[in-house]
Amino acid sequence: MILELFRWLQSLSFMTFIRESGLEYPIVMSTHLACIAMFGGLIVITDLRLLGWAFQDKPIADIVNGLRWWKRVGFVIMFAMGFTLFGSKASEYYPNPYFWVKMFCLLLVLIHAIVFRPSVYNHPEQLDASPVIPTRAKLAGALSLILWTAVLCNGRLIGYYEPPQQRGRVVSVGSASK
Amino acid sequence: MLLLQIDSVADALNSSEWVFPITECFHIAAFAWSIGLIAAVDYRLLGFGIQHSKPSQVLRDTAPWTLLGLAVVLLSGPVLFLSDVRMYLHNPSFVFKMYALAAAILFNYTIHRKVAQSDSSSTVVRAVVAVVSLALWISVVFGGLFIAFA
Repeated sequence: MILELFRWLQSLSFMTFIRESGLEYPIVMSTHLACIAMFGGLIVITDLRLLGWAFQDKPIADIVNGLRWWKRVGFVIMFAMGFTLFGSKASEYYPNPYFWVKMFCLLLVLIHAIVFRPSVYNHPEQLDASPVIPTRAKLAGALSLILWTAVLCNGRLIGYYEPPQQRGRVVSVGSASK
Repeated sequence: MLLLQIDSVADALNSSEWVFPITECFHIAAFAWSIGLIAAVDYRLLGFGIQHSKPSQVLRDTAPWTLLGLAVVLLSGPVLFLSDVRMYLHNPSFVFKMYALAAAILFNYTIHRKVAQSDSSSTVVRAVVAVVSLALWISVVFGGLFIAFA
């Protein structure tokens, strides 16, 4: 069922174009990676501030509110590129355990947002009003760092998986550099 | 002799199939960390982001963390390189990446730092410096990824 959906996605003309392209595929992948660099740091800054490890003299509200839209823009570009990479080779991603672990981590990121948005991210002024950074804010920052790191590592490892019947042959997904 | 030594280092690094991918994860996480923090300074120079802080404050607050990230990048990178020195030296994307990296680091700790530190720089100067900085770092990332496609 899921595999059929993946095969259908991969068969779309746009996905076929990307898969069979020369430079387009690595450009999409580079853009995905460049987005991690351009916007991932904003997540790091927010998390470090929530943990109280950096920007201590700045109100949490400034950091959270100032970076919110940038993080959203970055996420949309990154997601669009990531989905294109996945969609163009969807049936190869299907048996890849790292892909599913990454998706699970992204699900946890979504749950993290649902859990902590009401009490942390949507009301940073309340955190600033507290004499010490509340535990829930530190927990949100720490979990965010851990989850995004897990997403990143599993994302990279997708490129190293070789399906059993292809062992010894060149990896095609993500194309490892050796 | 040197080549023999390089080969023995490469053999050690390639003895486990996990050394390269795990080092690569460190490399990517650390460059996301450090370039992202530099980008935060650039966004501020462009007039966005953490607007209640001056560029000099954003720079001061991020600088130690940026340096930490760059240290991990510059330690993990050579490990990846030493796993297959000949391939990298003959790879045009790798050569491009090294030039871009040298330019990006040089720019970051000279002109970029000066302009970010001086809160009196003109808007145009700030914008140009921010765009050059972002362009240089994006070039490094693209160069790195294209090593696998060269």
